[in-house]
Amino acid sequence: MFTSNKFYKPDSILKNFFKLDWILLFVVLVICIIGVGALYSAGDGSLKPWALNHIYKVIFGFFIVFILSQFKINFIMNFSVILYIFCILCLIYVTHFGVGDVKRWIDLKYFFFQPSELAKIAIILLLAKFFTYFPNNSKNILYNLIAISLVLIPGFLIINQPDLGTGSMLILLGFAIIFLNGLSWNVILSITLVSLISIPVIWQNLLEYQKYRILVFLNPELDTLGKGYQIMQSKIAIGSGGMFGKGYLAGSQSRLDFLPEKHTDFVYTLISEEMGFIGSMSLLILYFVIIIVLMREFLKEEDFTNKIIIFGISFLIFLYVIFNIGMVSGLIPVVGAPLPFISNGGTSLITIFIGLGIIQSIRVSRNV
Amino acid sequence: MKNLIFKKNIERRFFFLSALKGISFGVLSWRLFDLQVIENKKYDKLSKENQFNFSLVVPERGQIYDRKGRVLAANRDAFSLYIKSSKNLNLSEILKKLSSITTLNEEDINNFQIRYKNLKKNNINVFITDNLSKRDISKIAVRLHEFPKVNFLMTKKRVYPQGAITSHLIGYTGKLTENDLKRNKNLINFSNLRIGKYGIEKFFDNQLRGEFGRRREEVNARGKIITSNLYENPNPGKNLNLSIDLNIQSYALSRLQNINTKKREYVEPETGSVVVMDVNTGELICCVSSPNFNPNIFTRGINPKEWKSLVNNKKAPLLNRAVSGLYPPGSTIKMAVALAALESGVIGYDNKFFCNGVKEYGDMKFHCWHKYGHGNINLSQAIERSCDVFFYELGLKVGIDKIGLMLNKLGLSANINLELSEFQKGLVPSKKWKLDNRGTRWTPGETINASIGQGYMLSNPIELCTMTARIANSEMSVEPTLLKNKTKKFLKLDINKGHLNYVKNAMSNVVNNELGTAFKSKLNSQSIKMAGKTGTVQVVRISEEEREKGIIKNKDREWKKRDHALFVGYAPLEKPKYSICVIVEHGGSGSVTAAPIAKDIIEKLLI
Repeated sequence: MFTSNKFYKPDSILKNFFKLDWILLFVVLVICIIGVGALYSAGDGSLKPWALNHIYKVIFGFFIVFILSQFKINFIMNFSVILYIFCILCLIYVTHFGVGDVKRWIDLKYFFFQPSELAKIAIILLLAKFFTYFPNNSKNILYNLIAISLVLIPGFLIINQPDLGTGSMLILLGFAIIFLNGLSWNVILSITLVSLISIPVIWQNLLEYQKYRILVFLNPELDTLGKGYQIMQSKIAIGSGGMFGKGYLAGSQSRLDFLPEKHTDFVYTLISEEMGFIGSMSLLILYFVIIIVLMREFLKEEDFTNKIIIFGISFLIFLYVIFNIGMVSGLIPVVGAPLPFISNGGTSLITIFIGLGIIQSIRVSRNV
Repeated sequence: MKNLIFKKNIERRFFFLSALKGISFGVLSWRLFDLQVIENKKYDKLSKENQFNFSLVVPERGQIYDRKGRVLAANRDAFSLYIKSSKNLNLSEILKKLSSITTLNEEDINNFQIRYKNLKKNNINVFITDNLSKRDISKIAVRLHEFPKVNFLMTKKRVYPQGAITSHLIGYTGKLTENDLKRNKNLINFSNLRIGKYGIEKFFDNQLRGEFGRRREEVNARGKIITSNLYENPNPGKNLNLSIDLNIQSYALSRLQNINTKKREYVEPETGSVVVMDVNTGELICCVSSPNFNPNIFTRGINPKEWKSLVNNKKAPLLNRAVSGLYPPGSTIKMAVALAALESGVIGYDNKFFCNGVKEYGDMKFHCWHKYGHGNINLSQAIERSCDVFFYELGLKVGIDKIGLMLNKLGLSANINLELSEFQKGLVPSKKWKLDNRGTRWTPGETINASIGQGYMLSNPIELCTMTARIANSEMSVEPTLLKNKTKKFLKLDINKGHLNYVKNAMSNVVNNELGTAFKSKLNSQSIKMAGKTGTVQVVRISEEEREKGIIKNKDREWKKRDHALFVGYAPLEKPKYSICVIVEHGGSGSVTAAPIAKDIIEKLLI
């Protein structure tokens, strides 16, 4: 299915280099540096164990961006179906042979691979391909049902791990793309109505402990020793930061270990505590800049497939940010979502860089 | 064309979703603003509560010294036992084990458990007790590895080096109770705090206690202490310098408790009190009450048996007789009656009455202590020989209200602000008082009784000593105080100098004239002389029958029914320095029992 004879761009690499979106990459770099600083603080003022490791990962991430930008987007799209099937197989594999107490990772000797993260890229590419191959059928219910099941299959596999955060993020991402493609409002309304009606019926049939689990999920403060404790400590840390923060390396909540997972999911809390409202707001604005830059990219793009891809990746970054900051500030339940470019996670960081790389590939492939 | 509509549609949806993104970012921004700016104070407080454990640091209690700087109350180092609170602590097991190797007080354990239950945080030292003997401490210390959550902290413990000598005066401290907290809103409910419960310790508790400091410990999420430092220094309590002279105090006490020193066998201590006062400044040199108690047992933690024996003792060793023992003043107020008579002009210096041993009024008979009477005597002689009949006549002429006014002027039942909350004002009756309190009219017979200090009249040793001091001073209405160098201006004593000198001369004759009732207690000195007045107070009324049979001698009477022995006096005659009041309960006659004690003490003071 090669649409072009050449899967790489023969023009000089240097020329391609200048075609990259340098504003976007600069903002990303700034956020990455903030991340290194935050992880240095999380390690009690030490490059180990996280800050240095993060530097390597960021360098590797930028390397991926440059590599991907050298490929034509059509070439990359050839792998969309294969990637999707590969992800599904991996997800089935981890439920049986995964490592970790919640079975999310595949042990690849040098690093742990988390297929659920890569599945997010896969679903974007697959949906883009699907909607390109069968365009303009958005009113057809069967057509939409196929698209929805393409999303729900990996979604439920991930939720089943159990990883509610990543699973629901993937489903939201997929639905947003389907919605963008033109899912009719009637379908949306009826799905919403059916689920609203079924909630009380399902609730009636739940066992006591299941109800309790759901209640804790909705209101973590019920569980004062587990997630409720985490979220309370996180809110205390953010709130006590005040306008200007407690100062770099001087956050008492994180330094005295009241803050859980300060190097991964709760790293934004640490930044808020030490840098105050000024710091936390500046970081939020940087993320917003990325979203705006990608919006501009979307509007500039003429090709439908590429439009879907750009939207999907920008929405993915948006979801990461909203899930993470919403979670640490107590707006949404603790679901476990990393903060892009800052959290010291492996696969999620690389996933986002892959996404950025694909967007650069689109940009470079474009004949301006 | 279709493609164009489609494109428009996808862009409309894109803007819809972009608006959603914008709103989401707006919500997040608002959330951050709310947490970090609007609710900052609340979370800042919570964060500090996480970060720091504050504990109170007890200030060192002020020391108490006598007038020459000798220590009457001090603090020494002691150990307190604590348990560090933590989750899943088998408290009953630990307490059981602890009490099996030491003598833990049950009350302490109960209080500890209440305190422990009310805790909201972990890793806080909860006080158990500071009443451990050295043996107990070393026993626990040796086995400390068995009690990982048990530890000791250094604290201070109150000691009274003079023990029983200053027991009533200094008082003692005790544990803070619910009642204390209700009464004094400024007190901090702190388990290890001891407050003054009696005596000077109670009256000056606020000054002696000082102000709490605070210790701040930085703890991490696992309760490990990272740093610990004094956040606010405690303010130690103020030291007090009392006017008491420890030498005189202890001498007076030994004199009071071993009256018959010549006898070898054990003599039960007399019950009574001695008060010595500086007639110019009002400073109390000694203030003794007997029997007494050892205040140190209250610091160590008094056990119920000891407490019962103190409370149930018929001689009431806990009572400070010097300030709250109320006695009929007897003949010791005859100077006041004489002054009242002289001031109102009902009698001159040389007017005489005849005493035949009994005064008949209506169908009642009022006897003089001298069975056969004193004959024809004047006022000075009546004081010197303590003639009762003379004063019966005088009292009737002056009237109770004028006598009462003079007594008030001299400090009896007046507003004396002594620095002891145990101080109890005496009673000087008047016509109005009788009507208000007894509902009947005052009778002349009661005036007759009152004019020799019997009947309703009551006063405490401090008041009698003050009265004597004011007569001796003659210029100022001296007021007693327990503090050294307390500069206070006294009011002028508004009594005719001539009258005062006349009465003082008569008081001198009491001691220095051969016919005086206290002649046997004349000072062993040519240059320094004492003036005074004896008093013998009937406790039980003697009936006419008994009188005809012949009064049973004091010694042969039951102890409870014997007379109280009183003596008031001052010395030296010229430029008086000290006034003294001695009361020996059921001690017999004032001249035999009380006056010699006063003589010895004054000699110790001046010679």
